[in-house]
Amino acid sequence: MVDLHVNGRNAALDVKPHRTLADVLRTELGLIGVRVSCSEGECGSCTVLVDGSPCTSCLMLVNQGEGKSIVTIEGIGTPENLDPVQEAFIEEQGFQCAFCTPGFILTAKAFLAENPNPTHEEVSMAMSGNICRCGAYPYIVRSVMRAAEKLRESA
Amino acid sequence: MGMTERNLNVVGKGLHVKDAREKVTGALKYAVDITVQNMAHGKILRCPHPHARVTGIDTRAAEALPGVLGVLTHEDVPQNDWEAAWFNYRGKVLDGVGRFVGDDIAAVAAVSADVAERALELIEVHYEPLPHVLDMELARRQDAPQIRIEGNERPPYVVSWGDVEQGEAEADFILDCDISYMSQQYAPLGRNACVAEWMSDRVTVWTSSQTPSELRDGIHEALGIPLSRIRVIALPCGSSFGQWWSNNFMLVTVLLARKVRRPVKIELTNEECMSTVKRRHLERTRGRMGCTRDGRITVAKFDHLIDNGGYGFKDDVGFFCVDMWGKARNGNYAIHGINTNLLTAGCMRGVGDCTLGASVERMADRLAEKVGMDPVDFRILNQITAGDELRMQHSRDNMKGNRDAYIEGIPPHLRKDWPELFRLSSGGTRAILERGADAFGWRQRWKGWATPNAVDGPRRRAVGVGTGAHVCGVEFEGSSSAVVRINPDGSAKVHCSVGRQGQGSETTQSQVAAEELGLPIGMIEIETGDTDSCPWNHGSLASSTMYRTGWATRAAANDARRQLLGIASREFFDNIDIDELDITDGEVHPKGEPMSNRRRSFSEVLNELRSETLGQTSSITGRPSEPMPPSTTFARQFGAQFAEVEVDVETGQVRIVDFLAVQDSGTVVNPQVLKNQVIGGAICGSGFALYEHLVFDGDTGAIRNANLLDYKLLRCADFPWQADVLFEEAPDPVGPFGARGAGESPIAAGISAVSQAVYNAIGVWVDLPMTPERVAKALQVN
Repeated sequence: MVDLHVNGRNAALDVKPHRTLADVLRTELGLIGVRVSCSEGECGSCTVLVDGSPCTSCLMLVNQGEGKSIVTIEGIGTPENLDPVQEAFIEEQGFQCAFCTPGFILTAKAFLAENPNPTHEEVSMAMSGNICRCGAYPYIVRSVMRAAEKLRESA
Repeated sequence: MGMTERNLNVVGKGLHVKDAREKVTGALKYAVDITVQNMAHGKILRCPHPHARVTGIDTRAAEALPGVLGVLTHEDVPQNDWEAAWFNYRGKVLDGVGRFVGDDIAAVAAVSADVAERALELIEVHYEPLPHVLDMELARRQDAPQIRIEGNERPPYVVSWGDVEQGEAEADFILDCDISYMSQQYAPLGRNACVAEWMSDRVTVWTSSQTPSELRDGIHEALGIPLSRIRVIALPCGSSFGQWWSNNFMLVTVLLARKVRRPVKIELTNEECMSTVKRRHLERTRGRMGCTRDGRITVAKFDHLIDNGGYGFKDDVGFFCVDMWGKARNGNYAIHGINTNLLTAGCMRGVGDCTLGASVERMADRLAEKVGMDPVDFRILNQITAGDELRMQHSRDNMKGNRDAYIEGIPPHLRKDWPELFRLSSGGTRAILERGADAFGWRQRWKGWATPNAVDGPRRRAVGVGTGAHVCGVEFEGSSSAVVRINPDGSAKVHCSVGRQGQGSETTQSQVAAEELGLPIGMIEIETGDTDSCPWNHGSLASSTMYRTGWATRAAANDARRQLLGIASREFFDNIDIDELDITDGEVHPKGEPMSNRRRSFSEVLNELRSETLGQTSSITGRPSEPMPPSTTFARQFGAQFAEVEVDVETGQVRIVDFLAVQDSGTVVNPQVLKNQVIGGAICGSGFALYEHLVFDGDTGAIRNANLLDYKLLRCADFPWQADVLFEEAPDPVGPFGARGAGESPIAAGISAVSQAVYNAIGVWVDLPMTPERVAKALQVN
């Protein structure tokens, strides 16, 4: 058994320990917002927050998530009640196909918690661990800058 | 129903995309997210040889493995050819021959993907290796191993006009080129999956596809079952750019599910997506271009090779740089498609215009330098303007007869009101070049050919400009259609099977329908994937979605609108001519009186019938009353892009520091959506110009970098966040509200802008991709 704490809830799961955290989140908990693309930690689509830090869940074994607070895109907002970072990505259209978007949003959320008043260049660097094949990068930078504004206003 | 003069309420607005909330919350379902009850998992056995025949296949050990449900081999597969759109695949689903390393040979279905994968190792295949050929030049030789029954090479597609010899004689300067291109990989973020479920003799297929109707056609061809028994439900794609149309793994899934009598899902790994589906062609341009002392191109003669890999079959129209440089007085372009024992090649975003187009741009730049002209001026002088003759589709012998026979064959009622055939319908590059040059400060920032505008130690900065063109869909692969339904509550639904690949078509098609119906956008929903509810559509390819499907969506909405107004006139407005009625915000009213107290909502109009007149319809179905006009082939899209780069001459590293894209796609239906798409093209083109290329094993052709670690893509900090997009909106006489196509010219323009900027920085033309190693080497040689 593996005990996970995901999006504020506890889940006791009977899963084999060799499975990746990404796989378990997707298939056992139905959290399809955990997108898996490269499976080697390169693209960042599967990013989740582990104790607040962005981690590529395709490279974590499920038991490495035990005893930690895991947050997926489903844990920060819903279509009816969006997180300010999600709102900002809509307003600046920081996506096209959006397969990478949950990963970018969670990366941005963690980054803005550390650096609430970034420059465009700092955002651009901070978002470079994730890949957007559609090339929405300039709009992703603008989305994160707008998110920073929203978070400062609500702070 | 041509261009409209009326004020637009929904078209032209930068509305948020309709699926934005699903996208930012992770709720959107792609094919990889689909499961159905009792579903088995499939895996494909892949050929380890570049070319080999299966002489024996023993599946007993695999079938005996607990959890295995069955194995599909070529012996189970109907030996029919099927074809993907634009000849991106022609062949059988499995035929016992492997034509590249990674080709599909057999497939296993099991209770889990893990078991299926273990079973693959237990299938014993005996191969007879066949001679193979990896290089397209070698594949052209008479004695080359033949990969296909049709031969490795068919007659070239040739476009010619004027007299090339005379053009050479008239030229004051002539230059030659021999330029090779490496292969770009779609490198899809998102992968893909296919789920197939049979109910008796009918099959339902869920997959991510840009071309649901074409996939249904492919299943029909491969299996020989009626189209009416095939339902494709296309889900949104992760980044696709031409990769996810109809792909052989989808057909394998359908056949595997039939064999094991269970729904089956095949989910591709990232490595499979990058090494077994398709890629951009390897290409080579040899050619010459000449111009007069005052910079007028007198001759353009190009011989262009594209390697189709194992199953591609492309050597057709599709390279619209030919038309863009349309003022060339004499020309001859020959395009040869050649099969090799490499991964199948197909149409990737901007096919041909990213390669042959880049060659033509480079030749033009070299000539401009010879005659001492600014590249912006040289383009304006030699590129096409509205009304000029188009040549790319003159040679239609492999399509529908020659040009004159084609024109002759169009019924007069379809020709009325449309612009002259075989001439550019609207737009051109002049306006975007002038606008861009002004906004970018080109005249100040360009310091002359091969002249940096700043030098700082080893770092040299310079600007470059590039232009790109592409088609806006074509008519001869079938007439894309759409249906618009108005429901009794006054909401409407658009049905058009164009798929969703992130370019926002679900939103922009809805905007077209909302505009035509007079409904708020919030009252419109859309189905883009279900072939059971949508009429045939070519899909999102060849930049056709806004232009051709948009035309059909508007025509369908107009038909629905007229039906609704007919009922309203009869029931509420004393049978007045429906042209005396109008619709505003979902309410019918006498023209010019939107606040009239006689106004009636859609639901009132429809429910009037519902309550009182039994047997009358209470919902409306609109559809285009005619096929699309023939002139839909004669629109083009154009991009002009301006880049500033910084080249480190010690390391060879190129950095893009400033970027401006100017786009002519006619009326812009959604500026926010289109800006994003244009910049995406520019970034994909910049990636092709600087880094992206597949590495093939020299002996076997196996792909050595089929993963996102070794295949380098541009990242956020590799492209200036300030990059901006401007529009010139020359309205098209045919496209919906004046709109044309958009998705593919931006990538072509970006490639040439970056390429020229590097030349201006270092004074040497570097072959693409301009990796640090290649830049450094080019500098050493010179």
